[in-house]
Amino acid sequence: MRTGGSPVRSRVAIFVALVAGCLLLGTGWVVVAAMRDDSTTSTARVKLVKPAEPAAAEPAAAEPAADTGGRPAPKGPPTGLLVRAVDPSDTPLNGHLTQVALDGGPRDASVQPLACRRVHMAGGRGLCLMLAPSVLDYRARIFDERFRVRHELKLNGVPSRARVSPSGRWGAFTLFVNGHSYAVDGGFSTATTIVDMESGEPVGNLEDFKAYRDGDRIEAPDVNYWGVTFAADDDRFYATLATGGQRYLVEGSLSKQEVRVLRENVECPSLSPDENRIAYKKLVGGEGEWRLHVLDLRTMRDTILSEPRSIDDQAEWLDGQTVLYSDGRDLFSVRADGTGKPKRLLANADSPATLRGRS
Amino acid sequence: MYQAESARLLVQGRAEASPRKRLRVSRNVVLLGLTSLLTDVSAEMVATVLPIYAVFALGASPLQYGLLDGLYQGAAGIVRIASGVVADRRSRYKELAAFGYGISAACKGALLVVGGSIGGLSAIILADRLGKGVRTAPRDALISLSSTREGLATAFGVHRAMDTAGAMLGPIVAFGILLAAPGAFDAVFAVSLCFAILGLAVLVLFVRNRREREPAESPRRASLKRAASLVVLPRFRLLLVVSAGLGLVTVSDAFLYLALQRRLDFDTTLFPLLFAGSACAYMLLAIPIGWLADRLGRMRVFVAGYVLLLLVYTALLVPSVGLAGLALYLLLLGAYYACTDGVLMATASALVPEELRASGLAVIVTATSLAKLVAAVLFGLLWTVAGLATATIAFGAALALVIALATLAFRRADWGLAGA
Repeated sequence: MRTGGSPVRSRVAIFVALVAGCLLLGTGWVVVAAMRDDSTTSTARVKLVKPAEPAAAEPAAAEPAADTGGRPAPKGPPTGLLVRAVDPSDTPLNGHLTQVALDGGPRDASVQPLACRRVHMAGGRGLCLMLAPSVLDYRARIFDERFRVRHELKLNGVPSRARVSPSGRWGAFTLFVNGHSYAVDGGFSTATTIVDMESGEPVGNLEDFKAYRDGDRIEAPDVNYWGVTFAADDDRFYATLATGGQRYLVEGSLSKQEVRVLRENVECPSLSPDENRIAYKKLVGGEGEWRLHVLDLRTMRDTILSEPRSIDDQAEWLDGQTVLYSDGRDLFSVRADGTGKPKRLLANADSPATLRGRS
Repeated sequence: MYQAESARLLVQGRAEASPRKRLRVSRNVVLLGLTSLLTDVSAEMVATVLPIYAVFALGASPLQYGLLDGLYQGAAGIVRIASGVVADRRSRYKELAAFGYGISAACKGALLVVGGSIGGLSAIILADRLGKGVRTAPRDALISLSSTREGLATAFGVHRAMDTAGAMLGPIVAFGILLAAPGAFDAVFAVSLCFAILGLAVLVLFVRNRREREPAESPRRASLKRAASLVVLPRFRLLLVVSAGLGLVTVSDAFLYLALQRRLDFDTTLFPLLFAGSACAYMLLAIPIGWLADRLGRMRVFVAGYVLLLLVYTALLVPSVGLAGLALYLLLLGAYYACTDGVLMATASALVPEELRASGLAVIVTATSLAKLVAAVLFGLLWTVAGLATATIAFGAALALVIALATLAFRRADWGLAGA
């Protein structure tokens, strides 16, 4: 490749031709791509599962409250579900929010205009975490009971969990954040933010809260939080705290800005309506292998639920007896006391939120 | 100004001062800079969208992507020295560099074809890292061989400034494309391929392999053994020990950015702006600091860079940093890059005989980056065990000590003003 092999002029000509070719290819490709109908929102629909379907077959005794409707619950009976439509061919796409009625009669599904990757709703306020149309970042949208967007926040990370407090006062979301990696490039960490659902302002990052274990302050730099669940008093909350390779259940106070470790190996807690139990996923065996459990906060006794598969989700309580979760594609319900069998409730749905009447 | 400066140096009796009145950067260096600029636009375009592409389009979890990315960090180091040795044999700098840039260009094309699976994507990332490892040493050797001895740091400064400019342009181009065509990752990859091809074309068509030396010269073949024997050269050994020693007490910039972000307590969405800010400072300062290094002594400027880093450590200790403070820290960080990155290559270039230039540079870079990797792990550990303040003070004290020792060692080695 000795220089001078070809005259300068012909080399310049080759280069100019390359520049022209590249300009043509590059701009052409972008223009064609821009005209392509490429949406970040899937058109998939939630499908109702017929009760007669074999997957749902189970003893009548274990029949969960999903279809019975009228079972009393402390904060009003469940009147419906809000879920997100999952596109089976491309699960991370934004999916349209869908409301499913539960109060007697035939279950019908109504599709809402909002599309999200993760959603939760309570007390007439909803939190929708979605991929922005530019696909370069994610947004959080706060909406009201008529699905009107009230606030929008830019997110710096990939959304994984969303929770709204029972009254609709606070919201919490967990993101995977890449910029937080240290020690070795390519590490990952999570960031969990509490947001005021009225003003739309973030009010705190859990990593800034004071954390205690057995009275000692935890000050390790590798602390990560995820999976918040709120109590009805709009102050107490539970979450997962991870540090030094361990995941803990913490109980926290928003007003005191502090958390205390309750127990080991609890991820993505979800507080029951009577606030005595926590449904969660427990790491069993290797990384990425979880089982759904329910922890009784009064006795600290654990009950494994009957779902035999690994579930990576933050569960939702339908009522005092039943827990809802997604396997990444379909929505299931299972009894919270470990009996019965899981039942497929909806196809192509995840991110369940139980909508309750105000009683 | 150049003439006045040269004249003043001559008056000081500097034996090595250039007989020419002005120091110009050779055409080859500018062309290599252009190659790097275009290649960095291409590389940073992809780097910007890759995390979101892997997670959004491929459905990988962020954890999977983190593993994918971390797995190949060491890959470049392994091939770097081998590539240096091969390039030194028969002076195949340009060929080796073209091979490395070619691999990276091919990877951009491959993204369009097999980037749709996580397996294909990880293979491409690995190949791209290897390409980077292959090209670095021969390219830096070519920069040094295309420059006069007294203009080495300036030449590297010009190259690094252009390189950084490309790295800053890349994300802007990628963002622009995705804004025009939402979700069109293939368009990003296609345009990235175009930039990579043009970068390679500049190298292949216009860069000359070397300035003057003819292959007729004694063919003392480079080998791993000969590259290793470089350490018997007292000054090379000293530089190797000093740069690795400084690397061992360097707090990884990932920590520094994280600390700055926490101190300022600002929106995490502004995190990328920290990188852009220091890169901008680096781009602007690379040439003036290189020029200064050629006059004041390259070794001196290299060590001074670590004094600037020591100042940046204070960011980890103060409770909060204002906006003006942040700007100052980013400026310091950029100046630290400008004092250390290209200047180290220039210093080493002046010490390594021509026939071992690429291997020698590869040895220095590999030793330094290994030391920095160890330092990052150590710092993370120390932070966890003893707390951030203790870790910072320990690293700061150690850095100050190494700087002092290095200065003493250079004095004793009689490393004059000219800095080799």
